[in-house]
Amino acid sequence: MTDGTLPANVLAEGMETVRRAPPGVLVVFGASGDLTHRKLMPALEHLSRRRLLPAAFSIVGVARTEMSDDGFKGLMAEAVPNAGPGWAEIIKNSAYISGDYSHPNTFKQLKSRLKSIDEALGTGGNRTFYLATVPDVFAEVAAALGKVGLNHPEPGGSSRLVIEKPFGRDRESARDLDTSLHEVFAEDQIFRIDHYLGKETVQNVLALRFANAIFEPLWSRNYIDHVQVTVAETVGVEKRGSFYEKAGALRDIVQNHVMQVLSLTLMEPPGSIDANGIRDEKVKALRSVVVPGVNEVANIAVRAQYDSGWVEGNAVPGYRQEEGVSRESQTETYLALKLTVDNWRWAGVPIYIRTGKRLPKRVTEVALQFKAVPHLAFPKAAATGLNPNALVMRIQPDEGVTLRFGAKVPGQAFMVRDVLMDFSYGAAFLEEPPDAYERLLLDAMVGDPTLFIRRDEVDTAWGIVQPLLDAWANDGAPLAGYAAGSWGPRQADTLIERDGRQWRTP
Amino acid sequence: MANAVAPPPNPSGPGQPGQPGHVGGAGSGGAGWGDDGPVVVQTWEKRAVSLDEVVSALPELRREAAGREAATRTAVLTIVMVIGPKDDPVACAESVRSLGAHHPCRAVVLRPDPDSTPVIDATATLWRASATAEGGHPIFFEELHLHVGGQAASHLSSIVGPFILADLPVAMWFPGELPDPTDPLLRLASVLMVDTRLVGPELTEIGHSYRTLLELANHQPVVDLSWVRLQPWRDLLAGLFEPEHSRYFLQGVSRASVKGKPGPRHMLGGWLMAQLDLRARELVLTDSKHVDITLEASYNGEEGKFQVSRDEGARAVWAKASLSGGMAHGQAMPLPDDSLTSALSAAIANLRADRVWERALAAAAALAS
Repeated sequence: MTDGTLPANVLAEGMETVRRAPPGVLVVFGASGDLTHRKLMPALEHLSRRRLLPAAFSIVGVARTEMSDDGFKGLMAEAVPNAGPGWAEIIKNSAYISGDYSHPNTFKQLKSRLKSIDEALGTGGNRTFYLATVPDVFAEVAAALGKVGLNHPEPGGSSRLVIEKPFGRDRESARDLDTSLHEVFAEDQIFRIDHYLGKETVQNVLALRFANAIFEPLWSRNYIDHVQVTVAETVGVEKRGSFYEKAGALRDIVQNHVMQVLSLTLMEPPGSIDANGIRDEKVKALRSVVVPGVNEVANIAVRAQYDSGWVEGNAVPGYRQEEGVSRESQTETYLALKLTVDNWRWAGVPIYIRTGKRLPKRVTEVALQFKAVPHLAFPKAAATGLNPNALVMRIQPDEGVTLRFGAKVPGQAFMVRDVLMDFSYGAAFLEEPPDAYERLLLDAMVGDPTLFIRRDEVDTAWGIVQPLLDAWANDGAPLAGYAAGSWGPRQADTLIERDGRQWRTP
Repeated sequence: MANAVAPPPNPSGPGQPGQPGHVGGAGSGGAGWGDDGPVVVQTWEKRAVSLDEVVSALPELRREAAGREAATRTAVLTIVMVIGPKDDPVACAESVRSLGAHHPCRAVVLRPDPDSTPVIDATATLWRASATAEGGHPIFFEELHLHVGGQAASHLSSIVGPFILADLPVAMWFPGELPDPTDPLLRLASVLMVDTRLVGPELTEIGHSYRTLLELANHQPVVDLSWVRLQPWRDLLAGLFEPEHSRYFLQGVSRASVKGKPGPRHMLGGWLMAQLDLRARELVLTDSKHVDITLEASYNGEEGKFQVSRDEGARAVWAKASLSGGMAHGQAMPLPDDSLTSALSAAIANLRADRVWERALAAAAALAS
């Protein structure tokens, strides 16, 4: 081959449906930290086991901790105790750079190391910089990468920056971060992770909606009475008390996970299931959500904190008794919220969101509650067990779809009651789905941004929740209490009951 | 009694001809299943049955079980297995049963026996397998064994129809002998599953089998379980050419060496010939217990060696590229589970015609001639 055109890999013909990372180097900042050890390394090992990583591949760890290459290799091995043989090969090619993120030498060393790896392995100048660090240093690391030119891809190569939520603490700080990152990296080089989007079942919302003709015609104000989104956890703050104190349910769950799930539920069908097709529609959906006024917050939101109680048979302390939590804490561990959407499809359909810690059951679901039939032809007594139809997308655990509809009770009398048609992904496809980090790491290395959050999504989502932060900062809404192990405070029931509706019991 | 294949739940065998079908309850368990394997929920068996009786018995299994557990049906396909006289019926049935636990299905196991009494004996079993997903529901699948005696054994297409699940693909598996391409039974299949590992060892047998397969592949997709098992070797070899610098060597392959048993080495040799446009004299096939592929190539005066191999005793496949200019890269994968069940499971995950396999097969057929 002499004309400079890269020939096709004819031996890979027929394997194109498998998405694999191209040759390249993954640079992990915060390489000695917990996220790297607990999530990234096991996810990378799984990718290698499935041959989704290339032969020409290396991991370069960067952190402040003093450590040699061999020390880092030892950490990599320790992170995956029963690793396959492919992991040993990857470890062999890996390297570590210890240094302060504020020191230019750290990044000069990194640049030189990347060059020698390219020459030895043929990694082709493809670099993915994963910031598994505290968010405070995102901007600093990005700027330092820019100073040594690592933000600019080598000819034929790529340079990508991966960061994980939280993207700011509020809309203003999110915009500041965004500005800093864009001084160095272009938007198409920035991959913002919300690991919820890496979950197979969140992606299944797209499949359910847009691969089936039967649901979409019903997916609007014409048939849907309201939508309920539930993200419930049985755990408390565990050892993250001091972190959670600064976050709370709104920042930790609603601004990111809930908004992502909600946008997939509300969005219009995209022209194509590609990065911009999907993300354009998600942003349009979020922009249609009515941003509440600060003085409306008390009417549309209930925030609360768990008291002591019983969860899964265990006595548990209240939030303010947890380690790292202030005894006067005003941080919410529960939030119920009513939103409305101003667009053709959803006008008049309220969205009820509820999330909390120390609730009775771990469950994430989106329930579309349909309107009741316009006229019930049976005597009321014959339909006492009949409720309006509901379509529930169960995101975790027991991922699947449930359709509630009425059926005749067998017998001489004509009685109808609810039955559930229950589809479980686990029962239909027993293939183990990839872990969210596996999926997202691979996508970042492949360069597919579909499941990553674009800057306008982040900004719009902050815009929706910012009035709540402002109201609470000014004590604009009281903080209620709820017993651990209950479904939340009484005020949350009132929030939905005054509209003539009720929370589901998932 | 010419018994149904694979000792089903009731080891005493089906009831007597003309007697009502016997329904057994849960808990009998299949031979060889551990605590995590599928367990019998309900069984039904009868000799000299009509197809109508069998059709009625299948939903009855779930109804009978309903008193104890809601045996809901989720299915993704129908598997029809045709057991030949040389096949091990117990092993085949156990494989298909394991498969049911991974791909909820109805498995119809046909054992044609033209020399026996012209009756059909049936055994139907409802199995429950634990789902692995957190909090997941158990899955239920049906296994139907039909021992077909007399002339009907030559007309299996007239028997299978009522047992095929509507609107779902039908994978038809011939564990041993390849089917006659003119058999009307094949028209019911969405895909045929065969195993070229079993061909040979004589070149004439290999060539004949490959030509039959080519004819079968003209009519419908064929999935070759041996080709599925060889995927890691093909995959790793292709992976060695992903780096840009290595890619150019693909056009300068001067020698390819493939070691392995007759079926795998011919198929891999055919693949390399077809994909790399190699001449037969550039290909060396050698008999060996384990598969090993080595390509020698050059580009711009630089020599390259690309090898995928398995060390004796090691449970891993290694791939390594070494270029005379100094660049080297390698990769390893755990040796995949090469059980029949695993190959079947991988095969039915992708029920499509494989044009690369067809080209490899055509080249392998030419090699064997």
